[in-house]
Amino acid sequence: MIKYFRDIWESISTMMTGLGITWKHMVHIRRDNVTLQYPEEKWPRPERNIGFDHSNYNVIRSRLQVDIDDCIGCLKCERACPVQCIKIVTEKAPTRGEDIQEIGHIGVTSNSSRKAMVVTRFDIDMTECCYCNLCTYPCPEECIFMTGGPNAHKHPIDYEFSEFDRSDLIYRFAKPGTKEGMDKLKPTEKVKA
Amino acid sequence: MGVVHGEQMVLNIGPQHPSTHGVLRLKVKTDGEIISEITPVIGYLHRCFEKHCENMTYDQVIPYTDRCDYLAAMANNFGYVVAVEELMELKVPEKVDYIRVIMAEFQRIASHLLALGVYGLDIGAFTPFLFMLRDRERILDMFEMTCGARLLYNYMWVGGVSHDLPKGFVETAFQFLDYFEPQIEEYNNLLTYNKIFIERTADIGVLPPEVAISYGVSGPNLRASGVKWDLRKNAPYSIYDKFDFDVCIGDGGQGSLGDCWDRYYVRMLEVKESVKILRQALAQIPKDGDVHQAIPKKIRPPKGSIYSRTETPRGDLGFYIESDGSPIPTRVKMRSPAFTALAVLGELSEGWMMSDVISILGSLDIVLGEIDR
Repeated sequence: MIKYFRDIWESISTMMTGLGITWKHMVHIRRDNVTLQYPEEKWPRPERNIGFDHSNYNVIRSRLQVDIDDCIGCLKCERACPVQCIKIVTEKAPTRGEDIQEIGHIGVTSNSSRKAMVVTRFDIDMTECCYCNLCTYPCPEECIFMTGGPNAHKHPIDYEFSEFDRSDLIYRFAKPGTKEGMDKLKPTEKVKA
Repeated sequence: MGVVHGEQMVLNIGPQHPSTHGVLRLKVKTDGEIISEITPVIGYLHRCFEKHCENMTYDQVIPYTDRCDYLAAMANNFGYVVAVEELMELKVPEKVDYIRVIMAEFQRIASHLLALGVYGLDIGAFTPFLFMLRDRERILDMFEMTCGARLLYNYMWVGGVSHDLPKGFVETAFQFLDYFEPQIEEYNNLLTYNKIFIERTADIGVLPPEVAISYGVSGPNLRASGVKWDLRKNAPYSIYDKFDFDVCIGDGGQGSLGDCWDRYYVRMLEVKESVKILRQALAQIPKDGDVHQAIPKKIRPPKGSIYSRTETPRGDLGFYIESDGSPIPTRVKMRSPAFTALAVLGELSEGWMMSDVISILGSLDIVLGEIDR
């Protein structure tokens, strides 16, 4: 009998404690507000010092970008990728380190290494990418990076990577027409030889 | 008066069910509302983790370990890199050790907060869930600040960590801990000592220590049965031997030893212990040091095999790695703590009511990503 009444008393008292806490939060609703009206408001990106140094590399809410003019086609990023979402096809350049005007190929990178390869295809399938950042470290030219990295000023940062069509999520970084341009170049080389 | 036996009925819970924590199907044989048998059917989240590892280099495996126990990805990273480092006999700088411990303990708090909050949600308490998720969010913000990701980090690498702590991390962490400690009291008032919650959890699903040990249950589930076993204390890895903390065990505070309430409460106590470890680690962390210094250019462990285990929020996580001297592991076997916890479910819930099964399942804190791998 005593237990019966004690249980009732405990139920009511602990419920009141709980309601008290909820009430406290309701009174301080302005101060304790933790949610945002999402499409109108957005969380600010957490601050991080952005520098060229890898220790200050900023990968917050960023995605992969490629500076194709700097890419030498070494395939190191393709090999580092754990999900094989990077597909690169290269062709041998006619002369090492020389520009090819027809396809907009630039022979020398910004690190002044001379390119021996023409990258005809550089696709990153963002539906597969797991944002692990493993591909950016082996790159000798620092041309593949997360936005917000060394070339942050070139690319605006955005964290809703949504597209209406799934095929738009395959990012093609090679210059359009490179493949066809290279095909056209080949026969002329043979004639010269 | 004997027991009246009615007709046996087979009931399906899941695969898509809010209280199954992932994609789990339970085949429940009931007699009226009394459970006579439960068979968990797993494999809906199987992603061939172990087979994948046999085709990847050692560092490429790390993003996959994230995705096993996705609520405690840091702890999984930690377990894997510790195993590979042991195999390679690699010594990491002191700062890296500290960073790893700090991250692992923050992850433990975050994972336990979710476990406790969702447990309340299973039982029918909605408010604590929101409060706990709010605080978990702050921890995730700190992770984001450090490595850019909120859930799947790929933060710990063999021989180091991917990024150094950002400027102001230690201050932010202390700020968080100062804010967080009083919150634990609030959770206790709101949920732990609530009579309705106690009625739903105390004396339900009692797991005796002998059964727990024979099933290989580990982590908070084992400690709730009164067994003082914590790898951080019993077989210290990394630098856990430097810190002063207690191993919390259940004591049957509201019912009998090893009931659902004990399993819940041990997690709450562990959060407090993690705060204790964090305060020590954050105070002692070396100011300078290169976190990339010990990362090997090519990870080629010598021929041989290793079994190494660490304490994740869910228990004893083991990695068995076999190497033939090439950059690709021959075999990676993961011993998952949640798997053994799920295995004991059948024994635990026999004879209980249907609604208690949800309570028991929630108290085991399983993550299906890790069970199915």
